[in-house]
Amino acid sequence: MNSIMTIAKRDFKSGFATPKSGAVLFFFLLFMGLFFSSFVKTFIEFQTRAGMMGGGGAPTMEQLIKAMFYNLHFILILIVPAVTMGTFAEEQKSQTLRLLQTAPIKAYEIVLGKFAAAAGLMGFVLLLSIGYPLFLKAHGTPDMGVVMSSYLGLFLLICAQISLGIWISSLTKNQFLAFIFTMFGLFMMLVLDFISKAVTTAGGQIESVLQYFGTTKHLDVFFKGLITVGDSMFFVLFTALFLFLTTVTLDSRRWK
Amino acid sequence: MIEVSGLSKSFGANRVLDGVSFVVPKGTVVGFLGANGAGKTTTMDILCGCIGADQGEVKIAGYDITDQDLEAKRRLGYLPDVPPLYGELTVLESIQFSAEINGLPSSKIKPRLAQVLERLSLGEARSKLVGNLSKGFRQRVALAQALVHDPEVLILDEPTEGLDPHQILQMRELIKSLRGDHTVLLSSHILSEIQNVADSIIIINRGKVVTHGTYEDLTSKFEGKKAYKVRVGNSYENALAALRNLPDISELKLSDDRSISFNLASTNEVGLDKVAKAVVDGGFGLRELSQTSKSLEDVFYQLTK
Repeated sequence: MNSIMTIAKRDFKSGFATPKSGAVLFFFLLFMGLFFSSFVKTFIEFQTRAGMMGGGGAPTMEQLIKAMFYNLHFILILIVPAVTMGTFAEEQKSQTLRLLQTAPIKAYEIVLGKFAAAAGLMGFVLLLSIGYPLFLKAHGTPDMGVVMSSYLGLFLLICAQISLGIWISSLTKNQFLAFIFTMFGLFMMLVLDFISKAVTTAGGQIESVLQYFGTTKHLDVFFKGLITVGDSMFFVLFTALFLFLTTVTLDSRRWK
Repeated sequence: MIEVSGLSKSFGANRVLDGVSFVVPKGTVVGFLGANGAGKTTTMDILCGCIGADQGEVKIAGYDITDQDLEAKRRLGYLPDVPPLYGELTVLESIQFSAEINGLPSSKIKPRLAQVLERLSLGEARSKLVGNLSKGFRQRVALAQALVHDPEVLILDEPTEGLDPHQILQMRELIKSLRGDHTVLLSSHILSEIQNVADSIIIINRGKVVTHGTYEDLTSKFEGKKAYKVRVGNSYENALAALRNLPDISELKLSDDRSISFNLASTNEVGLDKVAKAVVDGGFGLRELSQTSKSLEDVFYQLTK
């Protein structure tokens, strides 16, 4: 447990000692701010227009919040790979991994330490984004329950994304490759739901399996204000699976 | 103590190690000598549990590196050929990080850090960023990381590589000071690096241990007889016969370039004078008398070429 914390602390601190974490925060908040302001502007425009036409079909606050969180999902596809690409690729390239490998710690402790650091950073990022719903609360009446469950869903999503990114990073010494493949993986998770209809016969078994492995469907439940065991477990098991695979990848080098 | 038996490792079709076995007795410094690509780093990576061997067994302080890896690694410090340093940490943070992941109890960390900084003369650099340090300092920080948990066994992969002569001297003194308290395996591709520091020397070539012995063993084995050749102006046959009567001379033969090659016991210091005298007195005409081999460098070169 101590080693996990030591590794997480080192990773987290190094992230802020280099421009990396700063850049992640900066671009996240920049994207989020740009999209949010344009959403709010459109929202007000449409509401005014609807108001002039008698109030019918005016966009609701729920729609605005949903748009904001959907958009967040897209931004994460750019941000999370940047956070995870170096976790193992960089350590393998600079050979610092040997320092960890020759210490009396298990591979899973190294993996959990790295995961905790990345999840910590992304959690911090998510915390900063709370300014946007708070802005809405100051100027309207958003359903804060939905906001909270959406945040929980997003955090679970981020954990799953990070675990996939860490696994990919453990497979290469090249950070750029890790970034590209992670981004592709995360994008597939996002669109699996949509493309499942295109690649299979409608309503078939394969379609429902593909849909299950896409993240969108599970996240939608959280965005509706619901927290279900099934959807939470999806993210938890997804995370656990890829952290396990990372541990296997690291350990396999020691096998005879 | 390090016990290695029957270590083999292939990367694809390339057999890097082939039945490597040796023992490093407790408290000794053993040099691990081989040309670049001989299999030194692969051996050391296996010894430290970074990669697995295809066959063979490694015991660190009595613990198997595969089956009892945590126990073995607790007693192990490794300085790899590329120092494993995080550039964004300070010297103190780096050593502290290594102390923590190596399981040093937090109450012991502070006094131990002070000790290690002092021993490696890193006190003044303690709050400098590792990324800004010179090669010599980085090497010392990496050694501090390997030493901080006071491991019984230390494995140092080319610790003097890339250092300037002054730093090499410092590193050598440092390694000498480790003898007794630590069991040290020290690799290098330069013989003179090792012969002043190590109690015994293992020479590895193309994945096999070629020879293992003390510096004196190796010297007497290969320098017990020195090889010479003498070139005479005329009557080679007679010269050969005249030399045959001299003491301590062996393997006398006429070589292709019509010179006479022979071995002379290195204990016989006046032997060479007698050879010269015999040639001159016999009127054969001394044209050349020279040593054809074999310093330890030559031996190493021959064993590993």
